Amino acid sequence: MPREGSPFKGVGIVALKEAADHMSSARMHLVMLLVLLTAIAAAWGAIDRIRDTTAEDAYLFLKLFTVAREPLPSFAAFLGFLLPLVAISLGFDAVNGEFNRRTMSRLLAQPVYRDAILFGKFLGGLLVIAIALLTLWLLTVGLGILTLGLPPSGADIVRSVFWLIATLFYAGVWLALAISFSTVIRTPATSALAALSVWLILTFFWGMIAPLLASLQPVDPFDPVSIVNQYELQQSIARFSPQTLYSEITGLLLNPSARSVGPLFMHQLQGAVIGAPLPTMESVMIVWPQISCMVAAMLVLFTLAYVVFQRQEVRA
Amino acid sequence: MTTKSGSLLAVTSLVTILLAAVPAGAQEAGTGEALKGFWLTTSYPELAIKPGETHTLSLSLRNENLPPQRASIEVAGVPEGWEWALKGGGKEVSAAMVSPDSTERLSLELTPPQDAATSEAYNIEVKARTATDTVILPLTVRLSGSETASSGLSLDPELPGLRGTSRSTFSFKIKVKNEGAEDGLFNLAASVPAGFNTRFKKGYGSEEITGVPIAAGATETVTMEVIPARNAAAGRYDVGLEVSGNGIAESTQVSLEITGEPQLRLVGPQERLSGEAVAGKETSFAFTVVNAGTAPASGIEMAATPPTGWNVEFDPKELGQLAPNSTAEVNVKITPSEKAVAGDYMVSLRAENDTVSESVQFRTTVRTSTMWGAAGLGIIAAAALILGGAVTRYGRR
Repeated sequence: MPREGSPFKGVGIVALKEAADHMSSARMHLVMLLVLLTAIAAAWGAIDRIRDTTAEDAYLFLKLFTVAREPLPSFAAFLGFLLPLVAISLGFDAVNGEFNRRTMSRLLAQPVYRDAILFGKFLGGLLVIAIALLTLWLLTVGLGILTLGLPPSGADIVRSVFWLIATLFYAGVWLALAISFSTVIRTPATSALAALSVWLILTFFWGMIAPLLASLQPVDPFDPVSIVNQYELQQSIARFSPQTLYSEITGLLLNPSARSVGPLFMHQLQGAVIGAPLPTMESVMIVWPQISCMVAAMLVLFTLAYVVFQRQEVRA
Repeated sequence: MTTKSGSLLAVTSLVTILLAAVPAGAQEAGTGEALKGFWLTTSYPELAIKPGETHTLSLSLRNENLPPQRASIEVAGVPEGWEWALKGGGKEVSAAMVSPDSTERLSLELTPPQDAATSEAYNIEVKARTATDTVILPLTVRLSGSETASSGLSLDPELPGLRGTSRSTFSFKIKVKNEGAEDGLFNLAASVPAGFNTRFKKGYGSEEITGVPIAAGATETVTMEVIPARNAAAGRYDVGLEVSGNGIAESTQVSLEITGEPQLRLVGPQERLSGEAVAGKETSFAFTVVNAGTAPASGIEMAATPPTGWNVEFDPKELGQLAPNSTAEVNVKITPSEKAVAGDYMVSLRAENDTVSESVQFRTTVRTSTMWGAAGLGIIAAAALILGGAVTRYGRR
């Protein structure tokens, strides 16, 4: 029997309530404290490094995000590493937690559809991550302006905002993954472990698996084209990991002189003005496939969670 | 080389023999290698002077290897009516003291009267009487009647006419001879057409000079460099050189001929040398070829050196004749390679004919095709459609 009205009625209320719950939860506080400390440490390291080499840098402001000082990784690398953790911690018990606390039926007793609950949970998580990201970004920019005493240019701001949006989508992929696991798996601990193991595989082991899979295609040492082919195969396998996509996006958006994510041949660089900055929109265009793949992956994972959730028995 | 030095040796020995054969004359000569004695000499014992003018002869008293000698000087044979004075150190003297191994200089000033007979030769004797003997210096003075026409300076340009383009430097080598009796510092001045520059150098030197000192009777080579105005029209230009100093002046005229030359310039669209193009797509840029030179340029061809895989075409490819100060439009169609990555590339464009070539670097910003952007949007749209489908299928439970 079809029901009346929009399935999205009440999404806003659910999302805001969910966000408020996250904001006041001890889990979120701990995770954010960790992220905040590491991010500030990374930004501080970058500022220290930049101070040594101020005169040589053309894109000083963007270097805040990409320059690292040993042993700390850069700000962007930190986000690529820790954001999945934040997203997983926000989403691993989104659905099965409600069942376990026996609050699902109480929730559904409200005048909202099931659609609204899942959409609201996803958007609420995304909202929290967005707020956290914006805070971190402002904090880093503020630190940079305060300590380096130099205002960012308009192009720098546009580039870093685009990068921030891409970062949000990157976190969204992991949030959608965690919510999917929380819908499919009934125990929160199992779903958390499942999400974490996927994260571990894609973040740490994918870099080893990709060359292994690519080496299945034979290489003729006397044929340079086959070497290039194998490299390209390895690169496309590596791109199944959101981590790879995200680092490619970071590399291009935060480095205006980067021209390509793939291998470049000498004949493509003949006559090229090396080191000249690309127009901002060109940089975005180059990583546009990566960005759209991440957005699509987020949508598909969420759709999976949605379909499974809609078909579940909730009166248990 | 050996033959040359051999002949030099022969000449030297011949001179020695001749010297040995010359008799000692009126004055005592020292014996052997250690020359010893007392002499009274002058550089020019026979000379012609002008009536009514004071002429100075310089006399030298030389004491070689003798004790200090006191010499009383007497001048005999000066004709009636002539004025004369013997001077040493600026004062009138009648005797001189010469230390061993040294020379005393005296000057004899002779002023023949205005109406003196010019044809005769007068014999004047200057005697230097020392304690032991007398040295006599005979002089023969003639009177020259006619005034010489020389102004005292002569200018002789080596190459009075030069030819070159408006970008050349024209170097004139001019020999300046001081024919006057006195050394002097002579100022150099050139008169050139407006916009031309000149500078003077001495001989092959590199210093720029404004004047040159020339000893009496000596010749100096002065280089006058003329740098024409860049926009000087083809034609013949006269350059005057005036040398003045010591109350005398002399000028000469040289000329330079400027041949016209075409000079091409390539001007980009809106005077910019940068533009945007999409990978794999042809973009047209309106270039202007300008002949900024002074002669027509003919048979101009357009050419380009693009990066590999790029295609650059010109419309038209050949320009034919281009008069001075006229322009021609050329459409440059640049097609970046399909595989060109986004960014800036330098494309070298040239306009050239047999004699001139002008090249510019055109900075082309390659934009990636928006095809991938559309494909990315398509992927997102497909994912959104799947979500939408799921919502319509399972929604509102």
